[in-house]
Amino acid sequence: MNLRMYEGLFLIDNAYASTEWENVVKHIQDVLQKNGSEILKTEKWGEKKLAYKIKGHKRGTYFLVHFNANNSAITTIRRDFQLSDYVVRSLIVRDDKIEELSQIGLSEVPVEKDTTKMPEIADTVLSESSDVSVKVADKV
Amino acid sequence: MSKRKFNKTSKCRFCRMGIVEVDYKDIQNLQKLTTTQGKLFSRKRSGNCAHHQHSVKSSIKRARFMSLLPYVT
Repeated sequence: MNLRMYEGLFLIDNAYASTEWENVVKHIQDVLQKNGSEILKTEKWGEKKLAYKIKGHKRGTYFLVHFNANNSAITTIRRDFQLSDYVVRSLIVRDDKIEELSQIGLSEVPVEKDTTKMPEIADTVLSESSDVSVKVADKV
Repeated sequence: MSKRKFNKTSKCRFCRMGIVEVDYKDIQNLQKLTTTQGKLFSRKRSGNCAHHQHSVKSSIKRARFMSLLPYVT
């Protein structure tokens, strides 16, 4: 047992994304939860033009998920997404930076956002400022 | 003969901004580190330190895989 923070970016087929977005989100959450992971934060990027064609697709919708998972479950999660019809391509990367976010109290489970901006920036600033105050306190 | 001035304060751009790890989703910044063809800039050309050049390399390759950046144009 070794829980870690991961960040998954999924490229979703536009045909499904425009018609049955709820099903797609539910499918992704199901796959993750089936493998014993806990979703911390989700974010939808709008429809984007791809840099190159993937399986004939020229455009796609991106879906970003931050989640907590057992490191042994990642291989099965990856395979499940490869077999999925909705997901054209997926990338799962370990991200230790989010660990600080969850400690701050941002883990108010699935929050859907439509912004393209990364909310992490503000939080890192927060943590930095708290560090500074700690340093000041040490000096005093 | 004009000598090129050596600027003491010039550092790698990510060091100046205080970024520890480069994010593969930050396409606007990564695009500045590639040629018009989509090739990676050399360390000499980009002026990055070793740590950040490694980080840039892996994040550009991740972005390419997710079709955020082109392999070739």
